Amino acid sequence: MMNEEQERNTAAKETAKTKKMYKTIWRWHFYAGIIFAPILILLAVTGSVYLFKAEIEEAIYREYYEVTPQGEQISASEQVEEARRLYPEALVTQYRPGEDEERSSEVTVMEQGEAFTVFINPYTGESLGQLNNDDRIMDKIEKIHGELMAGTIGDRIVELVACWTIVLMATGVCLWMPRRKKGLAGVLFPRLNKGRKILRRDLHAVPAFWVTAGLLFLVLTGLPWSGFWGNNFQAMITNSGEGYPPSVWVGDAPVSAVQTKDIAEVPWAAETLDVPLSEIQGLVPLPLDKVVETADQFGLYPGYTVYLPQEKDGVYTLSIFSPKAQDEATMHIDQYTGAVLADYRYANYGIIGKVVAWGITLHKGTQFGLPNQLISLFVCLSVVFVAVSGIYLWWKRKPEKGLGAPAAPALVQKKPFLLLMAGLGILFPLVGLSILFVWIVDWLVIQRIPAVKKWLNA
Amino acid sequence: MKKFHALSILLAGLLLLSACSVRSDAAELYAQEAPIGAEIKLPETISANDKITVQAVLTQDGKKLEEADFVHFEIWKQDGSARYPMQEAADIGDGVYRLTASFANDGLYYIEVHAGNKGALISPQKQFVVGELSNSDLEALKQGPQKSEGTSGHHH
Repeated sequence: MMNEEQERNTAAKETAKTKKMYKTIWRWHFYAGIIFAPILILLAVTGSVYLFKAEIEEAIYREYYEVTPQGEQISASEQVEEARRLYPEALVTQYRPGEDEERSSEVTVMEQGEAFTVFINPYTGESLGQLNNDDRIMDKIEKIHGELMAGTIGDRIVELVACWTIVLMATGVCLWMPRRKKGLAGVLFPRLNKGRKILRRDLHAVPAFWVTAGLLFLVLTGLPWSGFWGNNFQAMITNSGEGYPPSVWVGDAPVSAVQTKDIAEVPWAAETLDVPLSEIQGLVPLPLDKVVETADQFGLYPGYTVYLPQEKDGVYTLSIFSPKAQDEATMHIDQYTGAVLADYRYANYGIIGKVVAWGITLHKGTQFGLPNQLISLFVCLSVVFVAVSGIYLWWKRKPEKGLGAPAAPALVQKKPFLLLMAGLGILFPLVGLSILFVWIVDWLVIQRIPAVKKWLNA
Repeated sequence: MKKFHALSILLAGLLLLSACSVRSDAAELYAQEAPIGAEIKLPETISANDKITVQAVLTQDGKKLEEADFVHFEIWKQDGSARYPMQEAADIGDGVYRLTASFANDGLYYIEVHAGNKGALISPQKQFVVGELSNSDLEALKQGPQKSEGTSGHHH
């Protein structure tokens, strides 16, 4: 008899425990959802558009892109000369030969902190027009997607949202997990005829489950881009020898190994030649044409960009982030001797570098072309649907007074949950920091002001 | 106490992450090239018709580059009035390659060293003055970096 009672007691305790646990998880899912859903929707929408960057730019910049092949192309340095003529005060920073014979070349110049792209017809040497890079619509969308157009702070917010999306998915899956064995309705497909309340819940929870894998993939492949977590992650894998070689993503490029005294001075004073003769004698920079020639000899994937050296010991850097990860390349060429100082291809990436490179091309939708873009688009649209249906669910359940959050048992009592959050907090320090922030605010403010405490159900 | 524990773990994790930057020797863990280094030596001052010695001191992999696959010198005058065809330089050992030359006229000259060894190629150009500079030379210098005058792509 005693045994049975004991068993019943333990069972009751267990249920109470599970219930408390469920509430805690729900509460975190609830707050994280309300706070981060709007930004998540913004990311999904801008991401959907950015997937089609190449196609969109091809259409809106046709007049700048298209050239008719006619005879020989003029040299790269003559093309750059034309851009210099149009922007005499500007600094030439990049040159990008067209990827095929019907594509114009691009010269990027910097003037007063703004970057302009000059499109040059490589057959005639004439400019097809110029664009201020800040005015390019896809650049704007990229800026929203990557940093909410708010620089470093925006970058950190996007990263925070990405990390919290993982928390949302983890807690969401816990809430979705069927607690009673009752078939697959409401689990793998929504219950359409069980009343509105159930339908509302199912229209959030069921699609959310289906989209979890895709969204998790997008978050994890997007994170290496981020400014804080991403840069640290990249630095760690580069240091381990298993990431990208240095300078491909993080780390410095090699320098041109020439002593300053060996470099020829360039007298730029227009009227007087105020440089002594001995200073004129010295090494002169390699012409751009030779750099392009080297790129062709080394078989770089077409569409690469040449970054011109801006410092005396700088190098020419050739870089291509191609649609397919396997075609990527980063090359550094000594500014004076033309020596290839580094030639990093996909094959030279470490194993983690290769995985990250694939992740990035899959995230951008370029690795497999159209099917890749369509699958990613579907995931993005589903994310929007799930975020909206989640907010709708809350809105409909929300009481007149208060936020309608599930009541909060003290967080520290829930050991497994605490461990999970601590784990995520260490893996994603921004999550950790924000949890700390919530704790402190809770402790200092919410718990001490009854009205706030009641409204938040804390 | 537990709160404090979690907090310290978090902070430790944070420090661990933010202390991370790419090591300066990380490049050694990946594919490395063996670029040729070159120092081109000319007399400080050169007058017309002087018989001078031009030297290229080559290095590769941190060592003197002896018996390079090829070392050719090419010299031309800025205004295009004189061009000395590509010539093989004499290998005098210890990574030094030499050529003697003389120039009939004053002006601004360029020398390009084409060197190659085990797949690594270089073609540095050095600017030098014989005697005095003419007005057109000064003009050319003011124009900034000179355009590609040297022949290129001969060696593969």
